Amino acid sequence: MDQFLQQLVNGLSIGVIYALMAVGYSLVYSIMNFSNFAHGSVIMLGAYFGFYALTKLGVPFYVAFFIAAMATATIAVILERLAYKPLRDRRAPFLYFIITAMGASIFIDNSVIATIGPTPKTFPTELLPTFFQGDPLEWGALTVGRVDIAIFLVAATCLALLMIFIDFTKLGKAIQATAYNMKASALMGINPNFVIILVFAIGGGLAGMAGVLYGMKYQVFPQMSAITLKSFIAAVFGGLGSLPGALLGSVLLALIETFVSGYLSTQYRDLFAFIILIGMLVVRPSGIMGKDAEDKA
Amino acid sequence: MRKLLCGTLMAAAALSLNAQSVKIGWFGPETGDSALWGQAELATVQMMAEDYNAKGGITVGGKKYKVEIVAYDDKGDSVEAVNVTKRLISQDKVVAIVGAQGSGEAIPVAPIVNEAKIPLVCSTATNPKVTVNDNGSINAFVFRACFTDPYQGKVAAYFANQKLGKKKAAIFMTIDDPYSTGLSQFFKESFEKLGGKVVAEVSYTSGEKDFRAPLTKIKAANPDVIFIPAYYNDVALAAKQARELGIKTLLLGGDGWPSDNLISLAGKSLEGCLFVNHLDFDGAAAKPMRDEYKKKYNKNAELNSYMVHDALAMVVDAMQRAKSVEPVAIQKALTTCDLQGITGHIKIGPNHDPVGKEAWLIKIVGPDMKFQEKFAAKD
Repeated sequence: MDQFLQQLVNGLSIGVIYALMAVGYSLVYSIMNFSNFAHGSVIMLGAYFGFYALTKLGVPFYVAFFIAAMATATIAVILERLAYKPLRDRRAPFLYFIITAMGASIFIDNSVIATIGPTPKTFPTELLPTFFQGDPLEWGALTVGRVDIAIFLVAATCLALLMIFIDFTKLGKAIQATAYNMKASALMGINPNFVIILVFAIGGGLAGMAGVLYGMKYQVFPQMSAITLKSFIAAVFGGLGSLPGALLGSVLLALIETFVSGYLSTQYRDLFAFIILIGMLVVRPSGIMGKDAEDKA
Repeated sequence: MRKLLCGTLMAAAALSLNAQSVKIGWFGPETGDSALWGQAELATVQMMAEDYNAKGGITVGGKKYKVEIVAYDDKGDSVEAVNVTKRLISQDKVVAIVGAQGSGEAIPVAPIVNEAKIPLVCSTATNPKVTVNDNGSINAFVFRACFTDPYQGKVAAYFANQKLGKKKAAIFMTIDDPYSTGLSQFFKESFEKLGGKVVAEVSYTSGEKDFRAPLTKIKAANPDVIFIPAYYNDVALAAKQARELGIKTLLLGGDGWPSDNLISLAGKSLEGCLFVNHLDFDGAAAKPMRDEYKKKYNKNAELNSYMVHDALAMVVDAMQRAKSVEPVAIQKALTTCDLQGITGHIKIGPNHDPVGKEAWLIKIVGPDMKFQEKFAAKD
């Protein structure tokens, strides 16, 4: 029982990180109907921004966290302007968007390897707020890492705010309308370009936060974007384009992974996770909460 | 793929027309996960070649030869290692090769050097299959400067059981790496032979970053020592996550641990933990090279620097004793190698492995790696 509870906590702590990353994939997909594979590289950049703001600029952790989120939001928007907008203007097929995204991802990853180097880095504990410096919290046999608690709180707050924003504000309604039908909402006076920039900025900002949190939980290294692929799978699992779906998919995928590797063996983990994913897509091609089965990339 | 020639060597070649040069190949990972160690090896062999050439070269059979290092990046990949070895042999016509730091690269390369009859001296490839094939035959042209995994596993098991009095061990290994699975197996055999019990054997796949699920399994088995035969980066991650799960057990490791980055990555989570090493970094034998390396590159020499130093020294020594730079003559001389290296006494045995080479137990104390105890082979 102790072990079960501990594995449940382990799974949830991975799930919320997946969720923060998956939301970025889902938001862009809901508007532009393509999977932005450069998202993982933006997450990686966020981790580096946070790391260098903390260690080189010497700013407090909260400021470094904010800098990372702002920097990646900017980069995501620049990426949209430079890489995707020219394609949109020419009405290029969706496949071109995906290839461009992959190219951008490879470009960003290798730029970091070439300039900063491949050696992993860790956030120095002494520069983090005092909350992170103590021993892990214990309740009986159950242990929870301090970083995990922080990740949970930050992720829950961000995701709650995002849902409130999407459901209850005018801008949020604009995003929803554009996701539903870009042409019709443009006719109603919603500027699609503005909505797209907004979506990339929100996704980018969340990416920066996810990157810093991921870097604190594990390490900061250039190949991080490969791991964020899991969060893309979670987004598909939950239903691409749906925010609650991304959340649910992330937590479910993380729990499946953790329980398979905890009770069976690590070798079976991905095997099981993907069998469930494929089974899910066969039965319900739009994912758990997705609405649209077309164009699933 | 990048080809590197020693700068000094070219200068030296221009200097004297009558001095001949001898080409020695090196390959290892200059990029990828173990780039840190590959780069350290390359820096070392280049430094050594410069030192040899500064004295006018090495004297073999009364003649002076300049040492030319031909280096290729194998990216820590077995396919790439095979490609660069073929290139070193057929295109660059090297007389001997050093490097091949990972067993995963050294094993596929062995049949190629055997067929081409070019001696290969591995720096840190510790898996037994590097020199001895599955059917018991010896790879005639493959040698190594390091001790092997069965020996290393035995030392770790002996130390844990006999010296520290640990009875219940858990093993945490990389399932897709022959170094890790091999070392686990040898540790387990020795530990059980000594009367200990292995209570949990769990694994992860290389490239993973979250070990909490398998570590929770270890925690439930309640061992009194955890053996982690992995490389430094994974060790740092595993140690941190183990401590976060409230596992306070002593962690024990092998020669994948020592690295300048280990402690900065792991923080306090490895305090008091122990690993088996090929030498004492702070010892007198290592000092001249440690100082020279530090002065030249402004970095600390890695374990691989010392290992590849001894590998190249073995080749040079073999040439001098054979009075020849012919690959077959070098091979013959290597079989009778009896050399005092930085990492200990290297006497090549019938399996082409050093016999009776000491292993060193190192303890992590604060930011330092402190030498604890020395072990010689016991059978």
